[in-house]
Amino acid sequence: MISRRDIVHALEHRDLADWVVVERDQEIAVVDGSQREEHRMRWQLTVHADTPAGRGTARVVIDANDGDPDQLVDEAARLARLSVGPAWTTIPQAAPARVELADPALSIGTAVDAAIALAKLLARRAESNVTLETRITLLRERVAMQCRTGFHAEWKATLARVETLVIATGHSLEIIREARRADGLELVAAIDEAIADLRLLASAGALLPGPCALILSGDALLHHGLGVWDAFTSQADAVVARQGLTRYHERGVIAAGSDQVAEPLSITSNGALAFGVRSAPVGDDGDAVRTFPLVDHGIAAGLGLDPREAALLHRDPNGGVRNLRVSLGTWDEKTTSAGVRVIDVRRLRGLEIDPYTGDGDLELSLAIDRATGKPFTGGTVRLDLIDVLARARRSARSLRRGPYQGPAAVLIEHAELLA
Amino acid sequence: MTVDRRRVLRGLGIASAHGLWFAFGCGGPARPPRHAGDDLSSDVRTWLREAVALIHGAGVTGHALAVSRKHTAAALDVLGAGVAHQRCDGVVLTARDGRGRREQVTSDLTRDGVLDAARALVGNTTPASLDFGPRPARPATPRPDPDAITDAMLIEGLAKLAKRDSGLSSRIVYASGLVEIDDARVWSVAANSDREQRLVRVRRGVTRVAWNGTRPIVSEVTRAWSGGLEDQTLNDDELAHARDTALALMTPGAFSDGEHALVLAPELVASIADIAARTLYTARAQRRPEVAQRLVTGATIAAPTFSLTDDATAATAYGGFHFDDEGTAATAKPIIDRGVLVDRISHARRPGHTGPLELTSAHLRVGAGTASELALDDGYLLEGNRGVRIDPASDRIVVAVQRALEVSHGQRTGRAYADVELVGSLGKLLGDCGEATSATRTIGIRDELDGLPRWRSVEAPWLRAKGLVRARRRLA
Repeated sequence: MISRRDIVHALEHRDLADWVVVERDQEIAVVDGSQREEHRMRWQLTVHADTPAGRGTARVVIDANDGDPDQLVDEAARLARLSVGPAWTTIPQAAPARVELADPALSIGTAVDAAIALAKLLARRAESNVTLETRITLLRERVAMQCRTGFHAEWKATLARVETLVIATGHSLEIIREARRADGLELVAAIDEAIADLRLLASAGALLPGPCALILSGDALLHHGLGVWDAFTSQADAVVARQGLTRYHERGVIAAGSDQVAEPLSITSNGALAFGVRSAPVGDDGDAVRTFPLVDHGIAAGLGLDPREAALLHRDPNGGVRNLRVSLGTWDEKTTSAGVRVIDVRRLRGLEIDPYTGDGDLELSLAIDRATGKPFTGGTVRLDLIDVLARARRSARSLRRGPYQGPAAVLIEHAELLA
Repeated sequence: MTVDRRRVLRGLGIASAHGLWFAFGCGGPARPPRHAGDDLSSDVRTWLREAVALIHGAGVTGHALAVSRKHTAAALDVLGAGVAHQRCDGVVLTARDGRGRREQVTSDLTRDGVLDAARALVGNTTPASLDFGPRPARPATPRPDPDAITDAMLIEGLAKLAKRDSGLSSRIVYASGLVEIDDARVWSVAANSDREQRLVRVRRGVTRVAWNGTRPIVSEVTRAWSGGLEDQTLNDDELAHARDTALALMTPGAFSDGEHALVLAPELVASIADIAARTLYTARAQRRPEVAQRLVTGATIAAPTFSLTDDATAATAYGGFHFDDEGTAATAKPIIDRGVLVDRISHARRPGHTGPLELTSAHLRVGAGTASELALDDGYLLEGNRGVRIDPASDRIVVAVQRALEVSHGQRTGRAYADVELVGSLGKLLGDCGEATSATRTIGIRDELDGLPRWRSVEAPWLRAKGLVRARRRLA
């Protein structure tokens, strides 16, 4: 039987520069047409070994109840010594972030019971002419972390993921929501919006290609998580930045003139957001999670730093990029430039972002031409997302969903709708 | 766009040779490795029978599936060699009654672990008396025995392969070789059914990357099969193809967007068939009214030259098996017969044999034709798969293609455009398909869902088609 004590004991008797052990005791329930309950122990071991050539690191993940801790540690140490990179020294451990991650409402009874309770919330919403096909996945975990320095932290977390296919008027839409609290899922609002959009889809016509202004809101803005804002997360990858492969560099503008616009863009990584889906007290490498700016008034301001990258840059680690908080603007969501065709994008079929250039391909599922009020479906928009989001008008109304907190809508004034 | 080594590798799903992570355990007490041991096989079957008897004792129908699997990946590249091992055991117990299906999953493949999971599923019951049928035959062990393969043997094999590619130019900025072995022993026990299989899946590949102006050209050739490590290898033509494709110079001018006559290379045909089978040709996809309306059994959904079969029985197929994860014997089932939709994907499989059930194809076979070569008067030969997206509701498909080779007046012009996409509706694309070649290629697919592997394969010919092709890049 593996225990943290045995692993720590084995680690203490090896010649290692540093190590972190994370123990995750997980209950996973899946409820759709059937019910599934899984209990798993997940161990994560990170070891650093110093050699004359530099420091080597190995990470080992084990899904197990049992195993041989000595063998495990020996193999990890051997691998670390084979994977040597530049020398660096571990920065002293900082205090973990104080953040709440477990919803008491999702912690009652078995995980399957809690997932069924969520499913019942949705069932009540179903109308006679609307069908909901739902899969609920609920994770409940107890996490314990221990480092070589003696640092020790424990916390509990819950995470619910709901995937629902909403079917009405001969059409279907899939909605996905993730939250640590049951009420953070906002399922009723999500279903109501989907039903309204399905009615629009039933009367949607063909698209008319051409130049336009785009309004992205709700599901179109946050397609599958962070949506278009994901363009900024890869630019804050310290490894990529060190290789000189990011599109912009720290302390430089993120796009030409991005610091000169009326409401310059600011983006902050907030890993200490209460019940944030990407929040945690400490990162997987034992680094304390911190709030830090990615973009400050149009200027690149920070990178996600794990202990290694932080040490190489002589800075403090921050736990990496987590939940994003985007600065609000003053746009009222109505005013647009005169004489410009405005397309209100409700949903996307697909979004593909090149992590290096920030180029985005948006495949439209449902949009409304504001001038005529007519919905249409289909079409592609190609955007230089870094540039257009730096200049976009951001709404004063805010939205919090999944890992995002920021304006509920943005207006992109120059785009081209392709067939 | 630029890429670094890490991204190239990540994009190919093979991770950095030096950064390969080791993982061990995944269940099992601290004792000598039990994987694939014959003693273990007998024990596991006994535990599963006990569990199924307990489940039936509660008045419901039971099924027990257990797996002991090992994944070994070795890579050799410009920075050195690395080998990774992962072992995982798991048990899935299923109880069915009129109200539906319930599952209990554990990674504890011991008698106590299996019986505890059974009790968690149905409570303390009196075991039912069941007939499990005859004991299954001992599964064949491929040669060389996967348990006897050492890390050194794998690295040595990769080094030999690298040595054979003598034509590497200094323009190749990155070269790597990979071999992956998934060795899974699976037991399935239910009333009147006791099955066991050993699935050893091997994937070999080489990657070559060369810069072409400001963009990297990544070329990869792979072979994937079930059986022994040495049953297949990449031949000299395949190595030369990987190298020459990476070194080919791309035309810098703008691609002329529009409707074109096309020949699709097998990897593109395979990726289109794979995504269509997974997202459209399943009972689950029929939940969507748009799909149910469009894809009615008996409807013509493709040209008469197009046929598609899911053949889980195909000998040595990477995605093949003897029985699926519900214990149902493998079948070969036509899905599209000469353009007509005749059936749907029906085998239920679990990612890693322990994940949630899903209907996925095993070994798809796109019908081959009789042509030895497909000639074009004017159009493009599309090669290299960079990803396919499909929207099941609207049928819109976007096929990202690595390069389009121009053909004019029946001759290759020498112009080759990088990064184009084939867009339109899948129905129209399949409806406009023309003849296919008699020669085919087989593509093995290993992807992961929540960290659990899924194995599929597709055998496809070159296929004549037509459709809207356009450039993917913004011009600077």
